[in-house]
Amino acid sequence: MILEGAIIYSNLLVLLALGLTLTYITTNVPNFAQGSYAIVGSYVALTLLKLFDISPYLSLPVLFVVGAVVGLITYLALKPLLKRGASVEILMIATLAIDLILLGAIGAYSEILSQIVGSTQAKFVFANLDFTLFGFKGILFVSTFVIILLLIGLYLLLYKTKFGIALRASMENPSLAQTMGIDVEKTRLFSWILSGALACVAGGLLPFMQEIVPSTGDLIIISIFAASIVGGLRHISGALIGGYIIGLSESLITYYLSQAFGTGFLVYGKVISLIIMILTLLIAPYGITGVDWRKVKKMLFTS
Amino acid sequence: MIKVKNLNAGYGKLQILFDVNAKIEKGKITTVVGPNGSGKSTFLKTLFGLTKIYSGEIIFKDKNIAKVPPHQKARMKIAYLPQTNNVFANLTVEENLKIAGYVLDKDKVKERIEIALNVFPELKDVLKRKAGTLSGGQRQFLAMGMALVRDAEVLMLDEPTAQLSPKLAEVIFEKIIEMRDEFGLTILLVEQNAKRALEISDNGYMFVSGRVAFEGTAEELLNHEKFKEYSLGITAI
Repeated sequence: MILEGAIIYSNLLVLLALGLTLTYITTNVPNFAQGSYAIVGSYVALTLLKLFDISPYLSLPVLFVVGAVVGLITYLALKPLLKRGASVEILMIATLAIDLILLGAIGAYSEILSQIVGSTQAKFVFANLDFTLFGFKGILFVSTFVIILLLIGLYLLLYKTKFGIALRASMENPSLAQTMGIDVEKTRLFSWILSGALACVAGGLLPFMQEIVPSTGDLIIISIFAASIVGGLRHISGALIGGYIIGLSESLITYYLSQAFGTGFLVYGKVISLIIMILTLLIAPYGITGVDWRKVKKMLFTS
Repeated sequence: MIKVKNLNAGYGKLQILFDVNAKIEKGKITTVVGPNGSGKSTFLKTLFGLTKIYSGEIIFKDKNIAKVPPHQKARMKIAYLPQTNNVFANLTVEENLKIAGYVLDKDKVKERIEIALNVFPELKDVLKRKAGTLSGGQRQFLAMGMALVRDAEVLMLDEPTAQLSPKLAEVIFEKIIEMRDEFGLTILLVEQNAKRALEISDNGYMFVSGRVAFEGTAEELLNHEKFKEYSLGITAI
């Protein structure tokens, strides 16, 4: 049961970390609003459920589009700073500002929705709407299916299409990519659109496993950053590796600690992610995908 | 082919090029030589749109392309080959060649890759390898092969023989001649190995402190008193 929850959480974390890594690689922006993107998705799914009776699972395509728009707007808002060559610190603060705007907007929207529906919508879950299959929660299958679909899609896009190879080229060396005639701006725009879309989809699934309030995004962002940094912010595969390491560790270690020392430990789940992130930064500053494994193997072999 | 008029350019507020005038003739090799920091590489980058232009014109096919962004210049059949990081290390050799033909249609890319592989047969055996695992010489062949795939009319090469052995550098010089003679490419070359570069060139420019100090045919430059002193290291000019 606990492993089931850990896998679901990891799947969603991968979706969120992938977006963060993608925009960091292409534009060097550490996006602190990524968590709130997800909560935008959660509230859009709630709206579709409450007003139009659409199941959150069926609303995923809509969330994808809404997230794409949110990502696009964020990028357009950041573009003047990027054009002026703003430092990472400035960009980070700018995304924090966007996060605060989103937080305020989501809070206000939850009030409006509460008034329309006639009951408070400040916090909600979808767990009661889920189905079960072979004794497992439906969200386990859906989130795993979304991840598999995403990985296949990304593989086909990045390795089998001209635009995908151009995207990889732009990520590695944008100025050289420009000399090839690639419109690097388009690839940046694409990464922000995809990042927003994935986050909103994750947000639509999140209420199946935890309670959502307008500020949930500010708590999840810790795990998202930890996942991207542990996996390596310079490689897309880093988000996948980091997502599962942080997701599984956070869930399982917190659970076993609470079993041993009391349920009070459940509140400190994010501390586990932070400790793993700090340890990774000390041992491998560029994350797991940034490690030269051939060198490590050689070192271990010769010693 | 390209006319440069009163060009002033640099990086941000740091001006590197001062009132540069130059003419790059069609189907010929034009070499830019000069001491370190004279603005040779900046000149190439500026022509390709990678620096800030304060004033001046770059006329290509009767159009001023000074404000045209790099990715559009690539579409105008102008290719630029940087001195370092001129291949995508994480992409395979085949992917590098494919991406070089980004602005061309699929069939044309296939045709151009075949041509590039005929000029640089050394690449045929390493097509599936990541470019980051290639030797310095192989990387340079790949970078030049990518320039050929682009089906460019103008090819700007920034120190293509840097960090190569003299033997490999000679092979590169021969390939440059082949690219001009076989494919009619207009080549603008920046080289540290000034003497050898001028020997294979038609025309030349000598830059000093961001300005054109002398210009003429490659032969005139080779025989110029100041060039002789510079190449012998007698004077900093």
